[in-house]
Amino acid sequence: MLEQLLNALTLAGLLFLVSAGLSLVFGILRVVNFAHGVFYMLGAYLGFTTVALTGAFWPALVAVPLVVGTLGALIESSTLRFIYRRPPLYQLLLTFGLALILEEGIRILYGPTAKGIDPPAYLEGAIRLGSLPYPRYRLFVVALGLVVAAAVWLFLRKTRAGLVIRAVAQNSEMADCLGADVARVRTLVFGAACALAGLGGVAAAPMTTAYLGMGIGVIVDAFVVVVIGGLGSIGGSMAGSLIVGAAQTWGAFYLPETAMVIMYAVMGAILIFRPWGLFGEPE
Amino acid sequence: MRRRDFLTMAAVGGVGAGLGAPAFLRRAAAATPIKIGMPAALSGGYAQYGIQAKRAAELFTKDITAKGGVLGRPVEFLYEDTAGDPAAAVRKAQKLVEKDGVKFLTGIALSSEALAVSAKCPEWKVIFMSTINGAGSLTAKAWNRYFFRVNTSGPMGARAISLYLAEGPMKRFFALGSDYSWGRDSVASFTTQITAAKKEIVGTDFPPVGTKDFASYIAKIRQSRADGVYLALPGQDATIYLKQAHQFGLNQEVKPIMEILELENMKAVGDAMVGAIGSSRYPFTVDTPRNRDFVKRFHAMHGLYPDMFDGETYEGLEWLAQVIQKAGTDDVEKVIDTWEDSGYEGLEGPFFMRKCDHQAVQLGFAVEAVKDPKYPHPVPKILATYPGEKVTPKCRSEDFS
Amino acid sequence: MSPPRALAAAALAALALAPWVAARYQLSLLTDLLIYGLFALSLDLIMGYTGMVSFGHAAYFGLGAYASALVLIHFGPPVPVALLAGALLAGAVALPIGWFSTRATGIYFAMLTLAFAQLLYTVAYKWRDLTGGSDGIAGVPKTELFWGGPSLASSRAFYFLVAACVVGSLVICRAIVRSPFGRALQAIRENERRFTSLGRDPRPFKLVVFVIAAVFAGLAGALFAPFRGFASPEVMFWVFSGQGLMMVLMGGIGTLVGPILGAMVFILIQEVLSSYTEHWMIFTGAVFVLMVIFLPGGLVGTARRLRARA
Repeated sequence: MLEQLLNALTLAGLLFLVSAGLSLVFGILRVVNFAHGVFYMLGAYLGFTTVALTGAFWPALVAVPLVVGTLGALIESSTLRFIYRRPPLYQLLLTFGLALILEEGIRILYGPTAKGIDPPAYLEGAIRLGSLPYPRYRLFVVALGLVVAAAVWLFLRKTRAGLVIRAVAQNSEMADCLGADVARVRTLVFGAACALAGLGGVAAAPMTTAYLGMGIGVIVDAFVVVVIGGLGSIGGSMAGSLIVGAAQTWGAFYLPETAMVIMYAVMGAILIFRPWGLFGEPE
Repeated sequence: MRRRDFLTMAAVGGVGAGLGAPAFLRRAAAATPIKIGMPAALSGGYAQYGIQAKRAAELFTKDITAKGGVLGRPVEFLYEDTAGDPAAAVRKAQKLVEKDGVKFLTGIALSSEALAVSAKCPEWKVIFMSTINGAGSLTAKAWNRYFFRVNTSGPMGARAISLYLAEGPMKRFFALGSDYSWGRDSVASFTTQITAAKKEIVGTDFPPVGTKDFASYIAKIRQSRADGVYLALPGQDATIYLKQAHQFGLNQEVKPIMEILELENMKAVGDAMVGAIGSSRYPFTVDTPRNRDFVKRFHAMHGLYPDMFDGETYEGLEWLAQVIQKAGTDDVEKVIDTWEDSGYEGLEGPFFMRKCDHQAVQLGFAVEAVKDPKYPHPVPKILATYPGEKVTPKCRSEDFS
Repeated sequence: MSPPRALAAAALAALALAPWVAARYQLSLLTDLLIYGLFALSLDLIMGYTGMVSFGHAAYFGLGAYASALVLIHFGPPVPVALLAGALLAGAVALPIGWFSTRATGIYFAMLTLAFAQLLYTVAYKWRDLTGGSDGIAGVPKTELFWGGPSLASSRAFYFLVAACVVGSLVICRAIVRSPFGRALQAIRENERRFTSLGRDPRPFKLVVFVIAAVFAGLAGALFAPFRGFASPEVMFWVFSGQGLMMVLMGGIGTLVGPILGAMVFILIQEVLSSYTEHWMIFTGAVFVLMVIFLPGGLVGTARRLRARA
C-alpha cells in the first residue's frame, strides 16, 4: 500500500513538472503549447548528453533546464511573438508545427535508439520499506516534485516578479498600461515553462530512458492534468497531477485496460460541466 | 515516361526481330536492374526496425554486386519511408509497384502495415517477402499466394521459448503483454503451451502500448510470487520495463522472459538486463563460419553488430536472389513456383520454404543476455537450439500439434 | 468569364481528363489526394466558417472507413451503399458527441473533441473482434457502382467515383455556407457573444454543422477503405486530426476549395520530400510554421487577397 502511494507520488511529481509549464503558458499567454511534450523529450536527451560529457548526474539537473528554457525563450521571441494578435487557432497550429520540427531535429541529432541514463551512485539501489525494496531514485523524484512545486508557488505568490506575472495573466492590457513589459513577461514565462518541462525530462530519463515518441506520449497526460486542475493554475496542476498520478497507479493495478478510458471520461466530464477545472477561474 | 521508352523499345525490337535481335538489344536487357522495393518505417517510433532492413540491404547490395549481380543484372533497392503508418505504407508500396515497376516488396516493419500491403499483392501481382513481421495471421487467415515469410513468426518465437521453459525448473509464470494484437496473441500462445507443459500461469496483465511507468505491474508481479515473467512488450516498452524492474530489484526475484530479445533493448538497458532470457529470431552470436563472416563484414560496414532483423533481412534477400537465379527470370509467377518447397543455407542454419503457407521453416533459438568483454553491450548467448519442425506451427494456422 | 469561374472550369476539365493524361501511378496519387481533400473540406466547415477547432475530426474519418470496410467485406454490396453506411455512422456518432462538445467553447471545445477522439481511438484499438484491433481490417474489396452495374476495380473507375464525390461535396458545402444557415455560422465565428445578445442560441447551429462536417468526413473515410483496401486505428488518431488542421490552414481557412488544395499540397510535399530524405518532417514543419506566420490566409486566401489588391 505504501509502495503504491509512493508510486503515485513519483508519477505525480513527473506529471507536475510537465504540466505546470503547460498550465502557466495557457494562463499567461493564452496559448496551448503542443510542443510542450517535445521540450520534455529534449530535456531527457540533453540529460543523457550532459551525463555522458561530465560523468555526473547533478550538472544535468541544473544545466539542462537552463538550456531548454533558453531555447524555448528564443523560439517564443522569434515566432510566437508575432502572432499573438491573431485568433488562438494560429498559435495552436504554430506550436504543432514547431513540435514536428523539434522532434525531427532530436532524431537527426541522436538517432533512433533509446538512450539510457543511470541514476547517480548514491541514488541507485533500493531502500527497504518494511519487506519491500523501493528504488531510492523514485523517492528523489517525489522530493524533487515537491520542492519545485513549492518553489514555483512561492515565486508566484510572494515575489514581485510573480505579482507582475499574475497581473499579466489576469489582464494583459491593464498590466501593460501600468508599466509591465508584457512581451518580456511572456518570453520569460514561456522559457520557464520549457525549463520545467526539460527538468521533467531529465528527472524521467533514468526511469524511462530518453526515447523518440516520449513527447507525444506525455502531452496527452499533461492535457488531462491541466484540464482537471484548471488551465492557468499552479495549484490546479498540483492537484491534477496527484489525481492523475493516483488514478494511473491504482488504475494500472486494478483495471489496467480501462484506466485510460476512465481518465478521458473524467476529462470530458470536467470540460462539459466545469471547464475551468478544479482550481481555475471561469472566464 | 515509361510509355515512351516502351514505344521506342517496341519499334527497335520490331526492327531487331526482323534482323535477328542484334547484340546491343541483348546487352540492354542484361543491364536492367532487378528492383526491390522497401517501404520501410525509417522515421517515427518504429524506425529502428526499418533501419535494420535498410542496413541489411546495403550490405547485401555490396555483396551481390561483387558476385556480378543476379542473372547478370544488378540489384537495385528503392527505399521509401512509411513512418510506421499503414496508409503511407500502402501508398508507398503502390508507388513502388506502379511508378517504379518493382516486382518484390520487403522491409516492411509493422504487422498492420504488412497486413494492408499483403492484401494488395494479388491485385498488383508482386511478391511481398516478410523479413520482420511476426503476426501469425499473415500465414494463416490473411495468407495469399504472393506472400512469403522468411523470418521466424511470433508464434514460432513463443514456441521456442516455451519449449525451453517446459524442460526447465521454473514453474510459476506471470504473463505481461501489451494491449494490442501482438501482445495478446503472444500471451495467448504462451499460455496454451506452458499449461500444456504442466506449468502454472499465476497472473496476466495487458498494459496499454506506450506505458511509461510499470511500477504497479511490478508490484503485482512481485506479489504473485512467480518464478518468471513472460513479456510480450514492443521494443521501447520492454526497455522501460527492464530498467524499472531492475531498479525495484525485481529481475533477481522474477526472471524476465522475452518473446523477442533484441540488441536494441540490450543497448538501451545495458547491464541491468543481464540474465534475461527469451527467444531470438536471429542471434548474431550463432557460431557458424558463414555467420561469423557476415558479422565481421556487417560490423566493418556499419560499425555495430547485427540485430535480429538485420540478419533476417539479409537472409531473406540472399535467398530471394538464389531463387531468382534458379528460376532464370524475375517473372513473379515463376519465382513463386521455384521458391515453394525449396531450401536455403542461411547464416543461422537451414531454411525450408513450405508450399502450403510460404512460411520458412527454420531453427528456433532460446537465448540469454550475458555480459561479454568483447562487446560494448550485453549479447545473446544461445541456450538451446530447436529444429524447424518443432517450432513451426501447422500449415496455415497459428497452432502447434 | 471571370477568373474564378475560368479557374473552376479549368480544374473541372483537368479532373475529367486526368485518367487519359496521367500515368497509372499519378492517377492513384490523385485519387488519394482527393480523398484527403474531402477530409480537409469537411473540417473547414467547422473550422473556417464556425470557428470551432476540432482535434477529433479524424475520428469521423475513421468511423466512415471502418463502417465501409465492414459492410464491403461482410456483405459485398455496391460501393455507394458502403459510402452511405460510413457517412451515416459518422453522423450518428457525431450527434451525441457534438451535443456534449458544443456545450464548451474555444480551447475547452478543442480539448473535449480530443478527449472524445481518444476514447473512440481506444475503442477501435481494443475491440479486436469487430475492428481487428491494432492490425485493422485488410482486404476490403472494391465492388461495383450499383447492383449489376460497372465494376469499380479499375483505378480509372474508382477515380471517377472519388472525383464525383469530392466535387459534389464541394458544391453542397458551398450551398450550405451561402445559405442563411451558413451566414449564421459566420456570424457565430465573428462574435459569438453578439450573436447570443441578439437573442439567438448558437448551440443548435454548431451542433448541426458539427454533424454535417462529420458526415462528409465519414464519406471521405468510406472512400478510403476500398481505395486503400484496409481500415486501421491510425486514421482515428488525434495526430491525423492535427494534420487535417494543417491542411486547412495551408489551403486557406474558410475558403472551402482552399483546404482541398491544401490537403493535396500537404501530401505532395511529404511524398516528394520523403523520397529524397528521411528527415522530410523538418521541412514540412518548417514550411508550415513559415506559412502560419507569413501566409495565414493559406494558398487560396493569399491569392484572393493579392487579386483584390490588384
